[in-house]
Amino acid sequence: MDFSFSDEQKMFRDTVYRYGKEEIAPLCEEADLKGEFSYEIWNKFSQMGLLGLPFPEELGGQGADIVTCCLAGEALGHAGVDGGSLLAMGAHTYLCAADIFTFGNEEQKKKYVPRLASGEWIGCMGLTEPSCGSDAAALRTTAVKKGDKYILNGSKTFITNAPVADVCVAFATLDRTKKHEGIAAFIVEKDFPGYSTGQPFHKMGCKVSATSEVFFEDCEVPEENLLGGEGQGWQIALTGVEWDRSTLLSPMLGAAIYNLELCAKYANERYAFKRPIREFQAIQHRIADMKLFIEASRLAIYRVASSKDNGALLNPLLAAVNKVYVGDVGFERASDAVQIFGGYGFMHEYPVERNFRDAKLGAIGGGTSDIMRFIVSRIMLM
Amino acid sequence: MDFELSDNHKELQQKMKDFFQKHIAPRASKMDISSSEKRLDLMRENLDRLSQVGYLGLCIKEDYNGNNMDFVGQCVTAEELAKACASTFISARASAFLFAYPVQSFGTEQQKKAYLPYIAKGGKIGAIAYSEQDAGSDLLAIQASAEKVDKGWVINGTKDIVVNAPIADVFLVLAKTSRKDGESTASGLFIIDRDTPGLEIGERVETLGLRGAPIAGLDLKDCHVSDEALLGGTPGKGKEQIEDVLEKGRLTLSAMAVGLGVACMEMATQRAKKRVAFGKQIGRFQEVGFKLSDMFTDNDLGRMLTLRAAWAYDNNEAEANILASCAKLFTSEALTRISNHAMQIFAGHGYVKGAGVERVFRDARFVEIAEGTTEIQRVIIAKSVLDKYLPR
Repeated sequence: MDFSFSDEQKMFRDTVYRYGKEEIAPLCEEADLKGEFSYEIWNKFSQMGLLGLPFPEELGGQGADIVTCCLAGEALGHAGVDGGSLLAMGAHTYLCAADIFTFGNEEQKKKYVPRLASGEWIGCMGLTEPSCGSDAAALRTTAVKKGDKYILNGSKTFITNAPVADVCVAFATLDRTKKHEGIAAFIVEKDFPGYSTGQPFHKMGCKVSATSEVFFEDCEVPEENLLGGEGQGWQIALTGVEWDRSTLLSPMLGAAIYNLELCAKYANERYAFKRPIREFQAIQHRIADMKLFIEASRLAIYRVASSKDNGALLNPLLAAVNKVYVGDVGFERASDAVQIFGGYGFMHEYPVERNFRDAKLGAIGGGTSDIMRFIVSRIMLM
Repeated sequence: MDFELSDNHKELQQKMKDFFQKHIAPRASKMDISSSEKRLDLMRENLDRLSQVGYLGLCIKEDYNGNNMDFVGQCVTAEELAKACASTFISARASAFLFAYPVQSFGTEQQKKAYLPYIAKGGKIGAIAYSEQDAGSDLLAIQASAEKVDKGWVINGTKDIVVNAPIADVFLVLAKTSRKDGESTASGLFIIDRDTPGLEIGERVETLGLRGAPIAGLDLKDCHVSDEALLGGTPGKGKEQIEDVLEKGRLTLSAMAVGLGVACMEMATQRAKKRVAFGKQIGRFQEVGFKLSDMFTDNDLGRMLTLRAAWAYDNNEAEANILASCAKLFTSEALTRISNHAMQIFAGHGYVKGAGVERVFRDARFVEIAEGTTEIQRVIIAKSVLDKYLPR
């Protein structure tokens, strides 16, 4: 048993934190108000090598372990980088590029991973459809083999990065009667005939990430762009879940730390009835709960990350615990932060407002809290 | 970074678990509902059994016949014992930790030799007496006094809710050491044997839960003890000593909460599998299934927080005390939620006297109250965070 980070990991976290605070966070308020994808922020990620952390150096990455990837997400959230920018980074690196890196053949890896790792190309992953979210195995987008091509038809929705993406890892079914065993993954480039994306959605939070629908209308995908085998799509999708439960949650931990610092400073400096509001127990109560959330979610996130580093298979129970806790309780704590700031907390000018909106995604994206509880209960009843 | 228990800890956990399930758990219901006399006998026997398996010497060094287990090891075993019988855990802990730990940490060599080997082997049962009718978390509000006389001290005062008082052979008693005007803040812990003249044990106090744990008050009237009775030999340290033991005590109280939480979860899961309503297992209704899921999450995170804090103490981390408060706060509130869920899943069948879940439901309520209420834990955590960000 060892709960400590290595010196190298700690140094990296500190470096990323400083970079995030000095170079990126000052851009985030304006980007969030605009509600558009920010190439300026994207380029900052790229310059620091943050878009390809887990890939080997020969593929343009940094060769980082998963714990280090999580530390980067935590450090950036802590530094005040908005949830939307970090979601864009997460979907790109851990859902798109990581799928190609893990399941791609040599040609696919060489062609796509370096361009994605550098940030030259932006990636997205298309699984969710208008009529299926948590029940992903019921997807309806079809793929039919015709000569040396697969022809895709159908649509995807809520696809993070879709409006700006150059590459999409898309899931489609070759045979609906086979359910999840009929699913395959394809690497689709934006210029492939029949591929298009919709207008970006206007979202409640995580606004700097661009999200839209993706359409496949007789979309032609060369057979060499099949990712993994024909029946391997489901396994690829589940692997994405492993990343989701660690690297994609770590920015939310970071945002909670950022919120706690903002609240603690405010509670020390703000006076009411001739004393700093820190002296009121209702304020203390919320501060304590925020600290508790940080400690518990840190353990939950790094447990999944370190077990992945140590080569263990993801325990679905523990992964679901992460998702439920970070998603549900994270939102409550973000709401507490707004409450501590009172009227100011309701204003765009205060980051606790943005963090509150961003935090709501935690209980929805990548599998809702409801489906997590469903999974856990079914395993318990077995 | 590695979240797995070491092989040593796993082995210890398994050995203790097997023993507790065989020799302690089957008596837990009797321990709850028998007559007071019978419950005292059962507890003496249970403590004797625990001494045989080495549980009572876990936090005592080998020089004094103990097993010198680290905090992580103490927590994994505490969880198993609390799961088997929470009353027995509380009674064992009062002797083997609340009494033994301060004696080992602050006592003179003579004091350690006189008591620790006997506590470890079960020859003596210890207890600690600090809270009073009007003083709990606010330790300085105690009224008990120790007046210095030639070659000793004279102690006066009353203590309430002392775990083990009806069966203990020796007590650690907190008293103010230089009280002339009632305003003193100096205090000391005194080791007082049961047969010391002037010490009287009150009537057994009956409690909502943990009914097997023998609890009573103490009455000290001109109780004369020697200089050697003062723990560590230097007056004025009692409050710090108590605070130290209570701080570290949060670890095993957290582990206790997890043990009870797991007991609730296991009972409720079995129930949700077996009970059928409207043609399906009740666990398959989301109102029930999601409760099971929340019980799992609470127990799992609570255990991690507990072991994290224990590891922090074992490795001398600066923030260990805050992590321990986080663990106590989380696990105790989680247990209240969990036991409530368990009762709800059993419904009428759980509300009946003698139902396992009924006993555990009552036992569970203890942890949010004991040795630093959840309210106090929040204050401790909040102050430490807020102080970090004071304006310069």
